[in-house]
Amino acid sequence: MRIVCPFCGERELGEFTCLGDAKPVRPAAGASADEVFDYVYLRDNVAGETSEHWYHGGGCRAWLKITRNTLTHEISSVEPAAGVGAAKVGA
Amino acid sequence: MAEFSWLPRSPLEHALVAGAYGARDVEPGIALTEIRNFDLVQIMARRGRWADLANAAKARFGVSAPDTPKAVSASDVTLIWSGPDQFLALSKGGKHTMETLSQAFSQSASLSDQSHARALISVTGAQARTMLAKLSSIDLHPAVFPIGAAAATSMDHTSVNLWRGNDRPDGQAVFNLLVFATFAESLWHTMLDAAAEYGVDIGHSEEFA
Amino acid sequence: MVSLAQTHRLESGGLIDRSAPLNFSFDGKIFAGFQGDTLASALIANGVKLVGRSFKYHRPRGILTAGSEEPNALVELRSGARREPNTKATTAELYDGLEAASQNRWPSLRHDLMAVNQLFAPIFVAGFYYKTFMWPAKFWEAIYEPAIRRAAGLGRAAGVADPDHYDKAWAHCDVLIAGSGPAGLAAALAAGRIGARVILCEEDFVLGGRLLADGGTIDSMPAAEWISRTLAELAALPDVRIMTRTTLFGVYDGGTYGAIEQVNDHLPSPPQHQVRQRLWRIVAKRSIVAAGAIERPIVFTGNDTPGVMMASAMRTYVARYAAAPARRVALFTNNADGWRTVETALGAGLQIAAVVDARPDVSSEHRALATKAGFPVLNGSVVGVEGGKDGVRKIAVSLIGGARAEVEADGLAVSGGWNPAVGLTSYHRGRPKWQDDISAFVPDSAPPGMMAAGAANGAYGLGACLRQGFAAGAAAAQSAGRAGNPGTAPVGDDETFSLTPLWHVAGKGKAFVDYQHDVTASDIELAQREGFESVEHLKRYTTLGMATDQGKTSNVAGLAIMAAVSAKSIPETGTTIYRPPYVPVAIGAFAGHHRDENFHATRLTPSHHWAAEQGAVFVDTGLWKRAQWYPRSGEKDWLESVTREVKAVRGGVGFCDVSTLGKIDVHGPDAGAFLDRVYINTFSSLAVGKARYGLMLREDGMVYDDGTTSRLAEDHYFLTTTTAKAGPVMQHLEFCRQVLFPELDAQLTSVSDQWAQFSIAGPKTRDLLREIVDPAEDLSNEGFPFMGAREVALRGGIKARLFRISFSGEMAFEISVPARYGDALVRNLMLAGKQFGVTPYGTEALGVMRIEKGHVAGPELNGTTTAADLGLAKMMSTKKDFVGRVMAGREALVAADRQVVVGIKPTDKTRRLRSGAHVIPKGEIPGPDNDLGYVTSVCFSPTLDQWIGLALVERGRERIGEIVHAHDPLRGEDYDVELCNPVFYDPDGGRQRG
Repeated sequence: MRIVCPFCGERELGEFTCLGDAKPVRPAAGASADEVFDYVYLRDNVAGETSEHWYHGGGCRAWLKITRNTLTHEISSVEPAAGVGAAKVGA
Repeated sequence: MAEFSWLPRSPLEHALVAGAYGARDVEPGIALTEIRNFDLVQIMARRGRWADLANAAKARFGVSAPDTPKAVSASDVTLIWSGPDQFLALSKGGKHTMETLSQAFSQSASLSDQSHARALISVTGAQARTMLAKLSSIDLHPAVFPIGAAAATSMDHTSVNLWRGNDRPDGQAVFNLLVFATFAESLWHTMLDAAAEYGVDIGHSEEFA
Repeated sequence: MVSLAQTHRLESGGLIDRSAPLNFSFDGKIFAGFQGDTLASALIANGVKLVGRSFKYHRPRGILTAGSEEPNALVELRSGARREPNTKATTAELYDGLEAASQNRWPSLRHDLMAVNQLFAPIFVAGFYYKTFMWPAKFWEAIYEPAIRRAAGLGRAAGVADPDHYDKAWAHCDVLIAGSGPAGLAAALAAGRIGARVILCEEDFVLGGRLLADGGTIDSMPAAEWISRTLAELAALPDVRIMTRTTLFGVYDGGTYGAIEQVNDHLPSPPQHQVRQRLWRIVAKRSIVAAGAIERPIVFTGNDTPGVMMASAMRTYVARYAAAPARRVALFTNNADGWRTVETALGAGLQIAAVVDARPDVSSEHRALATKAGFPVLNGSVVGVEGGKDGVRKIAVSLIGGARAEVEADGLAVSGGWNPAVGLTSYHRGRPKWQDDISAFVPDSAPPGMMAAGAANGAYGLGACLRQGFAAGAAAAQSAGRAGNPGTAPVGDDETFSLTPLWHVAGKGKAFVDYQHDVTASDIELAQREGFESVEHLKRYTTLGMATDQGKTSNVAGLAIMAAVSAKSIPETGTTIYRPPYVPVAIGAFAGHHRDENFHATRLTPSHHWAAEQGAVFVDTGLWKRAQWYPRSGEKDWLESVTREVKAVRGGVGFCDVSTLGKIDVHGPDAGAFLDRVYINTFSSLAVGKARYGLMLREDGMVYDDGTTSRLAEDHYFLTTTTAKAGPVMQHLEFCRQVLFPELDAQLTSVSDQWAQFSIAGPKTRDLLREIVDPAEDLSNEGFPFMGAREVALRGGIKARLFRISFSGEMAFEISVPARYGDALVRNLMLAGKQFGVTPYGTEALGVMRIEKGHVAGPELNGTTTAADLGLAKMMSTKKDFVGRVMAGREALVAADRQVVVGIKPTDKTRRLRSGAHVIPKGEIPGPDNDLGYVTSVCFSPTLDQWIGLALVERGRERIGEIVHAHDPLRGEDYDVELCNPVFYDPDGGRQRG
C-alpha cells in the first residue's frame, strides 16, 4: 500500500503506523465517565469509508487523518492533524 | 589528578574500515564516505511562527529555509527539511552551533542539538542508485529526486534524512544520509551487504563532500 | 553411468548453443545438454521420459509442459544445503554440473514400491483423509499422519540453513509489463517511445514468449529478427528496463507489485558477493498483463502417461530446443491451433502418426497437409493410452459415429484450447468472465491501473496480440502523464481460432484433472454427488488446484467437469478466488538480508565497544545490545559477577550505561502545560534546575510508562522514558501534541541518540565526580541536592548534564555528555575512579538494585497495573485533566481487592525464587479460585544475602507479614514466602539523599 503524505509525497506503508478510528473526539476536561468510556472503547466497524489516525513515524512524524475504504483499501483523502508542525491554529 | 582527553569517537569508528570492500574484479561502483564531527541543529517553528522563523533563517543564513522536502545550501550551512515547519542546519567549524543559533531564533523556534545524534554518510558511484534501491522505498530517479531534493524516510526500518547534494566532478550523483547514531553501525553493515556485489570504496572525511 | 549421446537431439535448429556443451546428472546418471537448454529440454534430448512419481498414487509421470505451469516434472535440484525440492524441470536452466533427482519414489524411480498405492486407488478418493482418519483423535498424530507423510508428499527440504544470500529491492516506473511475447514487446515499444519509464518482467531467460517456438512474420520479417530489432530499439531508450528471469507474482494495494528475480539460479552457486534471488517491490502507475495463455489438457483415460504432452510444449521442445519428445507423434486436439505442432514436427523431420481432432471437421488446408504428409485425420477422441514407464506405445481412439481406431505412436500431443493467464488481473478478488468463442475465462475487471493485452486478454492471433499490446502500451504511458509519439504499431498476420469445447472424454480407468495432486475426473464427480458443488468446496474437498502449480493446467478443466455433472454452464459454476503468488517464492527471498544477526536492526550504546573490550556479556533488549554484566577472570557464573558488581556499588562506586532510556526534548512556552496533560503529576510547577519522577497513563487508566523529567530552562524540559517504550512514548506524545492538544505551543524532539548517559552510584559517587567535574562546580548536598539537574563543566573543557537521581537507592548521579564523547567519558571514569575501585555494572546489577529498592520496572509496568497498584496513587493530581484520568477512576480500577505490588522473601532463606510463580493462601490447594497473584521480579540480593522479589498480590499491602504459598507448576516448585514491604533497602531513603 502507498500513502501520499501531504508533506513528504507518496510513501510505502511501512513508514506509517495506524492507530485506528479517528471519529471519536476526546471529551473536554470535566466530561462524564460515560462520555470518556465511549471515546476510549466504542468503535464503529465500518464496511466502506472510514477515517483513521495514521502516524508517519518513519518519515516526517506528522499525524494524519486518512479516509480509507475498508473494502478496497482505497484512500480518498489524507489530511494533517490539527497540530502538525507549527499549526496555524492557536498562534 | 588524572589528565583527561575528550577525543570524540564517531559511531562508525569501529565498523568503518577504509579501503576496498566486496567485489574486487570490478571498478568500484559505490563510494561510501563518512563525514565526521559536524554541527547539526534541529530548528522547529513554534505555534504559528513559521513566517517569523523563515525571516530569521533568511537573515541568519542568507537563504530561504526549506518549507518542502528540499536541502538548501549556503556557503557555510546546509538547511535540510526534516518535517512540517522544521529543518536541520548542518555546518562545520562551529559557525552554526546551538549556542550561536539560539539567539537568532529565540522567539520563533525551538532548537534541539542533534550534532551527536547522527552519523553522516555520503553515497556516490555509478551503482549508487542501484544499491540504494535495496534500502530505500522512495524513487531516486534523477527526474524525481534531483539535486537538492530531500526526504525524511526510513531505510532498513531505520529513520534517516536523505538528500541529494551537488554531483561529483565526474557527474555522479551524491546522496547524503543522516542516520541516528545508535543505529549507524547496523545500517552501515546493511549498506555494505547491499553494496558488496558492486565493489565499494570506503573512506571517512572531516570535510563535506 | 554416462550417456552423452543426446539421442533425441535434432540435427539442427533451436536456440541452444551447440558450441557450449554442458554435463548434468539426473538420478546419478550423467547426461549432456547445451547452453540454452532447460533441465526438461535436456532430459528430452536424452530420451528420458520418466521424470517423477505422482503425489498420491506414485504413478509414473513425464514432462507435460514447457513452462512455469508444469505440474509433473518436479525435481530436487542441487544437493546438500542447496537442495531445492519441487523445482520445475521445465524452467530450471541447465548449467554445467547440474544435479537433479526425481522425487517421491522408493527405492528408485523405475521401481517405486509405493506404486502399490495404485492398487488401493478406490480408497484414495476425494475426501479420503476426512472420511478415513476420523477417530480416535490421538491416532491422527501417532499413527495416521506419520504414515501418510512417509507415503505421500513431494521433495525433501535441505534440512539445513540455506548458505546463499537473498535481497530485496524497490523499483519505480510509469508502466510495468508482465511478459515479453508479441503483446508485451509491442507494449514496451509504444510506452517506451512515448517516453514512459518502463519495466518489463519476463520469467524466461530468453525474450519473445510464444514467438520463440511459433515464429511468424512481423513487419514483413521473421519473428526472430523482429525480436532482436525491437530489443535493440528498447535498449536505446533511456528508461526502459528489461528484466529476464523475473516473474511478476503478486499485485498489492496502491500500484505495488511483487516480482521474484532468479538472479543466479542458472549457476551452480551465486558468484561471491552476489545473491541467489532478489525480491522486487515494483511501484507502477500503470501495468499491462501480457503474460499470455496456458494451453489446457483434455481429460481422458491414461492422460498422465509419460509421453503425453501439451501440443504447444511439444513444438517448443522441437523448435526452441531442437529436442524431440517423440519420433512418431500423434496429436489430439479440439482446435486449429494444435495443428501447429504437426507443422513444426514435420518441419523437424518427425513422423506424424495421426491427428485425432474432436471437431466435426477440419480445414481444407489441414486436410491437404495430412494428405501430403501421409497421416490419417481421425475425427473423434482419444479414449485410452497404452504405455507406462517408458512412454506412450498405442493410443485408442473413439471416432465420431462410434467406430474405434488404434494409433501407434511414442508421443501424444494434446491441445484442449488455451486459458488466458488471468491470475494477475484477478488478485484483487476480481472474477474473470467467460468468453464463448474461445471457451475460456478472460479478465473482466482488473486492479486499479492494470489492463490485460494479447493472449492474456483472450486475443489469440499474432496480429491481434501486437495491436492490443501496442495500444495498451500507448494508453498506459499516456495515462501515466507522458505525451511522446508512439510511432507505428508492428503488424503481424491475423489468425483465426476455431475450437469445439471438449473437456473430458468419458472412459474406464483414471483420467487426471490435477496431475500434481492426483485429482481425477471421478473425484470431481464424487464431490458433486456428495454435495460439494460450490467450486470453493470442490477445491478444498478434492484439493484440486491446491498444489504448488496452483492448478494452472487443471482449474478450468475441473470446473468444466463440475459444470457438466451438475448440469450448469461453466460461467454459472464460476471460478475460485485467485491469490498470489503466481509462482512459489522462496521464504528466503521474502526475508532477504533480514536473517541471523541481521534479523532486525541493532542499536549500540556509546560505550558498547569499550564494554566489549572489557569482556562484557551483552543481552538483547528490544533492538539494543546492553552490557548485562562484566565477568572477571575466576568468576564461576553470572551470579558471582553480578553480586560483585552490586556490592561494589553499595560499598563504593560503580557506573552503568543508561543511554538506552528514551530522551525527549520538550520545548516551547506551553511545554509545562503539555507535560501536565500527559503525566498524572504536575510539571508546570517544577523549578528550573530540578528533576521529577513522572508517571504516564494510557487513556484507559492503566500505567503506560514512567521516567524522570528535568526542567533545564523555563521553556525546555528534558524527558526520559523507559528503554522499552522510547519509540511508543514518542509516538504517543506526538499524538497528544498534534491531535489531542493542538492549541498548546510545545515542540518535541527525540534526543535519545544525542546523549551518552551513565548512572554513577554508590557512597563514593561524589568523590569520583569531583575528579572529572570542573572544581568550580558545587556538588555538595546543598549545592546539588537530591533531584537537582543542571549543566556542568568537566575538566578538559566539555560540558555535561548532571541529574541527581537514583534508581539504585544509593547516593547517585546520572551524567550525560554529547554521544561522541561517551566513549571518552567511560574511559575517563575508569581512570579517575581507579583509586575508588570504580566498577562498571550491567543491567543485571541494575535490576538487582532496583528490586532491593522496590522500584517498579517492565514486569510491573505490564499494562494491567494502575498507579495505585504500584503504590503511586498519591502522585495522581486531582487538580488537572490528564490522559487516563477519568478511566483511572473506574470502579474496577480502584477496587480494594486489586493485585498490588508487594515484596516477597522465602521463609527458607536458602531457597531461590522464580518469577511467574503463583501466590496462593497458605494451606489451600492451588487453583484459579484462590489465586492471589503472581511473582513479577526476583533476584538474589547480595545486600540481604537471600533471594527476594516483587509480586502483584490481591490486597497485598494489607497482607504484609502474611506467609503465603508460591506455586510454580511450570517448574514443579512449591514453597512458602512472606509478603513484605517492597522497599527492602534503605526504606527511609537516607542513602540517596545523603
